[in-house]
Amino acid sequence: VAAQRLVIVTGKGGTGRSAVSAALALRAAASGARTLAISMTVSPGLALHLGRTDLAYDEVEVSPGLFALSIDRRQALNEYVHRQLRLPRRAPLGAVASTLNGIADTVPGIRDAITIGKVVFESWSDRWDVIVADGPPTGQILSYLGAPSAIADLVPAGLVKRQAEAMREQLDDPSTEIVITTLAEELPVTETGQALADLMGAGFIATVVANRIVPELTFAGELRSGPLYDAARLHLSLRESQQRWRAELPDGPELPYLFGLHTPTEVAARLAEELTL
Amino acid sequence: VRGIIVTGAGGVGKTTIAAAIALSAADRGISTLVSTVDPANRLASALELSDIGDDPRPTPIAGLDACMLDASASWHRVIRRHAPPETAARLEVNPYFEAIANRFPAGQAYAAAEQMATYLESGRWDLVVVDTPPADGGLDFFSAPRRIRRLVGGRLLRWITGARLPGRRRLYQFTAAPALRLVDTVLGGPLLEEVAEFLLDLRTAHDGLSRRARQIERRLAAATVVVVTTAEPSPLAEAERFFGAGHAPQPAAVVFNKVLPPEWAAKPKRGAPPELAANLERWGAEALLQSHARTAFATRRGVDPIEVPWLEEAPTGLAELAVLLDRSPGLADL
Repeated sequence: VAAQRLVIVTGKGGTGRSAVSAALALRAAASGARTLAISMTVSPGLALHLGRTDLAYDEVEVSPGLFALSIDRRQALNEYVHRQLRLPRRAPLGAVASTLNGIADTVPGIRDAITIGKVVFESWSDRWDVIVADGPPTGQILSYLGAPSAIADLVPAGLVKRQAEAMREQLDDPSTEIVITTLAEELPVTETGQALADLMGAGFIATVVANRIVPELTFAGELRSGPLYDAARLHLSLRESQQRWRAELPDGPELPYLFGLHTPTEVAARLAEELTL
Repeated sequence: VRGIIVTGAGGVGKTTIAAAIALSAADRGISTLVSTVDPANRLASALELSDIGDDPRPTPIAGLDACMLDASASWHRVIRRHAPPETAARLEVNPYFEAIANRFPAGQAYAAAEQMATYLESGRWDLVVVDTPPADGGLDFFSAPRRIRRLVGGRLLRWITGARLPGRRRLYQFTAAPALRLVDTVLGGPLLEEVAEFLLDLRTAHDGLSRRARQIERRLAAATVVVVTTAEPSPLAEAERFFGAGHAPQPAAVVFNKVLPPEWAAKPKRGAPPELAANLERWGAEALLQSHARTAFATRRGVDPIEVPWLEEAPTGLAELAVLLDRSPGLADL
């Protein structure tokens, strides 16, 4: 069992962020680690890949040793307030809650900070060896990771500042890993390059996972007409273009295109076999 | 003047489909504007424009103009139009304003909707084609005007700023309210003050902004909605949400992108080179899955999807866009 790890997965929409998150969590749990998978967005992607229709704010055991939850930002905010004010977890908050929610809706940094805060709080719990967070898209990752710093800078002193600073330390710690999923195509590669540069500028290092890579096809003969040759032409041109875009990415793990496999749980299980991270 | 909104999950090819629809209309002599939110300039390359910008500009195709959404610029225009000059100047340098304009997904979606409405109203084009920001599978685009209306006219704003007298001194009185004292404890006082200042300023634009948001809602309701998807489960699930979603107009068409020929699912002929037979077999399995997913969707939703084939060359130029149109009957009829 590895030492405690926090893995935050990001990536452009449609690059398999949830599938890779689920695969990482399945793999960690299979190795005997007590694992928590967290969905940081409202999308049901992670739930589907773990064989559920949805997830709740309270974690459920989705398979032996693997727990999962989904961060509802209203509930995260309420939990945070309860902790701050040292109230019992279910004590009603009334007008305070609706005011806070209104402010969190208005000021984007707060929502981001509360969401990433919940992830960091869970990583401080000794219940988990590995935490895998299915994070926001690449376009938003930096505002999430940077939220604790932003809060720490805004608030002059006190408990909130100390907490924000502790969160920043956790995110900067080597036990926190960032994974970017991408496809070997123009748009995702461009966006990944941008995200890598932005993250590096903020002091974060990320691993890039190239997803849905088609295998090599060697055929020396003449390509004629008909399905046999049409499929070969499509494959060869896809392979060529993927390899070209792949060369623009930093070295990192590669995941295969899963032909004829669409069930989210099957996809996650297959990717878990392939993934070494 | 007609508006077409091309929407759907991220990565399904909305930008390409929007460009193809616009190209086909321009080819038929309809004066058209295509506007995209895509940050990677793919539309620019498809339209052979090296530097596509915020202002609509002509493309090499007669009758086709193109532009790209600049959410931040759009918000600055909105605020200058609706807030008093002094307040607008203060808002424009406020960090929360920048955050709403750029990072808040609803803020970006609202800017896109606002821009579309402005182009429709200008009367410069017969057809305006836009693609939507990917947030919330494109649904954000349709709910953004209402959410912005709620933000500037919401209870929170009225409460913080005082319902009748939005005087600046009010701001410091409200800390007396016990609930807000608690908020202070949690968030830290100065942060809340800054937020309140920002909201106070935003409130000066309230009447103009909410009237405008209502206008935009009506424009969106009158537009033709085209949902783009692939046969994969998560884009499909996002596409499903447009059916029966109360706050988005019912889609006029569903476009399946990256469609593989169903005949690939047939067994390879005997004597075929083994490596090619194995290749056809894996792609055939994919084609079969796609066709099942398409049929199930069409039956469930009572639609006749437009199919766009998976092309060997990703459409990045006008020639490929023409091929795509040629091989996708139905796209030109939109």
